[in-house]
Amino acid sequence: MAGDEPEALQVSDVRYSYGKARAVDGVSFSVRRGEIFGLLGPNGAGKTTTISMISGLLPPESGQVLIFGAEATDPSGRARLRMGVVPQEIALYEELSARENLRFWGEIYGLKGASLDKAVNQALEQVGLADRAIERASKYSGGLKRRLNLAIGLVHSPDLLLLDEPTVGIDPQARLRILGLVKAQAAAGRAVLYTSHYLEEAEQICDRIAVVDHGRVLAMGTVAELRRLVGEGPVVTLKGDVSPEQLQMVADRTPGVSLISASGGAASFSASDAAACSGLVRELFAAATKVDDLRVQEPTLEALFLKLTGRELRD
Amino acid sequence: MSQVLTLTLKDLRRRLADPAALLVNLAIPLAIAGAMILAFGDIGGGGDSGPAAPKLRLGVVNLDEGFVSELLAGATQNSEAARHMEVRQEPDRESGLKLLRDQEFSALLVIPKGFGSSVLNGRKTSLELIKNPAQSIMPVVAQQITEVGALYASGAAKLLGDAGPRVSAIAESGGWQNAQDIGALAASLAIRFRGVDELMLPPLIEIDETKQDEPAAGASGGFDLISWMFPGMIVMGMIFVGMSQMKDLLRERDAGTMRRQLAGPVGPGTLLISKVLSVGVVVTAACGILMAIGAGAMGIRWGPLLPLAASTSALVLAVTGFSALMFSMVRTERQGDALGGIVTMVMSLLGGAFVPVQIMPAWMLNIARLTVNYWGNETLRALTGGGGWAEVAPYLGVLAVLGLVMTSLGVLLLRRRHLRGAL
Repeated sequence: MAGDEPEALQVSDVRYSYGKARAVDGVSFSVRRGEIFGLLGPNGAGKTTTISMISGLLPPESGQVLIFGAEATDPSGRARLRMGVVPQEIALYEELSARENLRFWGEIYGLKGASLDKAVNQALEQVGLADRAIERASKYSGGLKRRLNLAIGLVHSPDLLLLDEPTVGIDPQARLRILGLVKAQAAAGRAVLYTSHYLEEAEQICDRIAVVDHGRVLAMGTVAELRRLVGEGPVVTLKGDVSPEQLQMVADRTPGVSLISASGGAASFSASDAAACSGLVRELFAAATKVDDLRVQEPTLEALFLKLTGRELRD
Repeated sequence: MSQVLTLTLKDLRRRLADPAALLVNLAIPLAIAGAMILAFGDIGGGGDSGPAAPKLRLGVVNLDEGFVSELLAGATQNSEAARHMEVRQEPDRESGLKLLRDQEFSALLVIPKGFGSSVLNGRKTSLELIKNPAQSIMPVVAQQITEVGALYASGAAKLLGDAGPRVSAIAESGGWQNAQDIGALAASLAIRFRGVDELMLPPLIEIDETKQDEPAAGASGGFDLISWMFPGMIVMGMIFVGMSQMKDLLRERDAGTMRRQLAGPVGPGTLLISKVLSVGVVVTAACGILMAIGAGAMGIRWGPLLPLAASTSALVLAVTGFSALMFSMVRTERQGDALGGIVTMVMSLLGGAFVPVQIMPAWMLNIARLTVNYWGNETLRALTGGGGWAEVAPYLGVLAVLGLVMTSLGVLLLRRRHLRGAL
């Protein structure tokens, strides 16, 4: 790790539209070596388009993407040689075995001979596929395919790793294994950009997170910094028969309480402490004609997302 | 260059790992060829041991019984015609039609009463040809022969001019024994033909008789159906294979492997060239397999090696280019499947895979010349007909130009689609 080395990834005010629909609207962030940076947002928030611009597949309409100081779209491909991409879809050759897949992807990144063999064996070990290396990928379960998908992004030991929702559709055990592997990459000094719509995952592994929706960065910081945006105290969520006006009145007359969001019979409040929380609950039961669900939670990124966008992350 | 090789080898490994699609595509033309050959009922030899052409079975009902109609009916029974035709005279139309329905004839020719007199007197007349609807090729052959015969008869009648009625009168009155009439007619015809000899003589085309100890490949004296048909099936099979292999572009796009390569150090040009190259290799292998089947199982002789290699290379280039061009225009695999199947079959039909292009109307022949199949079929048929460099050169040149143009255009269009984000 050179002291004067530029940021692993520098994204500056990038924009991209599909026809008239703006998918990414002025996104900026940077990722350092050894850091796991999360792009958190619901489906359609612009995460994959941002990744596509970073990986040089889409040219930004404006703004700039630098990978270790070089333009992502640099025709020499130098920048892309230092980058490993793990796309959301399982992008591998099912007719080939895990070993054949890894050999091919290693070769196109310039590995050959003994170094290729070593890299392939190492990637197989990392994802736990060494004992099934000669089996055709078409015979693998979804979880094993995900692991191979990840191994392909790792085989050439990239300095920057782009992971686009790498745990979609797999069981909890396989997810834990992949998350552990991602952490190990950062610990080895690699910069990792991780997109997800699973809040727990992001909270668990990311050093910094950017919350995105409708192509914009709504908030950015460490998990602790983002939590503070919601408030130190608990978050109360309600589902029931209460009008938005009544909810606002409840918030106004309860000390230490603020309304985060209210729509369609659902609302969430932040309370400054336990006393404010119990006062809020009393007021809510008094105001509502019917309460279907009432929850009191510690402040989470889910609550932050709700506060910033007025909707849940999985909406 | 090494990336092109890596990408090409990867595709070939994938083909070898899952060759089912390739085998299905090879089986289609073989099955069609087999079915058509069986439909003719005889795959026997045209030479001593080679395959022979089926004979045209023609029924003739001569209601005229004049000397012109006798000449016409008799012309079909000379020794050369007898090698290719079986002509059977029937006394009336009904009995002829019955035999046609019983599949005894491919066609029934009815010469109407007064036919000869009309011809000699310069009046318009007609011949009736009833084609067997249950057969496809032979009735067309019968129609061609009849049309040629009618053309010559009309020409001869016009040449006779006003001597025609006199010939008719002499024939009908039994005046052939009258030396005075014959002398007068001969003098008249001599004057009439005097101007014609400059046009007719010396003949532009002379027939040289040659003797051979062994029949030349594909020139066994008869029409060799298998050697004629199999080249068309090979070209069709190659196009099927080319289209199915080029579909891999869309498969890779949908699977995300194409984006993944492009997100790495692989440029779109490298990716497209390697894809075209791998398709070319598979099409070459398909061509080789089909030719080997033709040679081994059907006794087809593919001619001298170098012209064959050059022809095959040009054909592979043209088929690959055509496939690239097609897939630069389709958006989904399903579209590719549907369009590929239809276009291949239509081009095979137009290009003469099933019927000779020579029997097509001129406008259709002009369209046929725009197809890869036409040039491919003609090239391979020139080889199976015993041809060498001289015979295949014109077709080969066209195929090579077609291949280069279509491959370049296909790659350019595919690249443009990629830049638009559609690939």
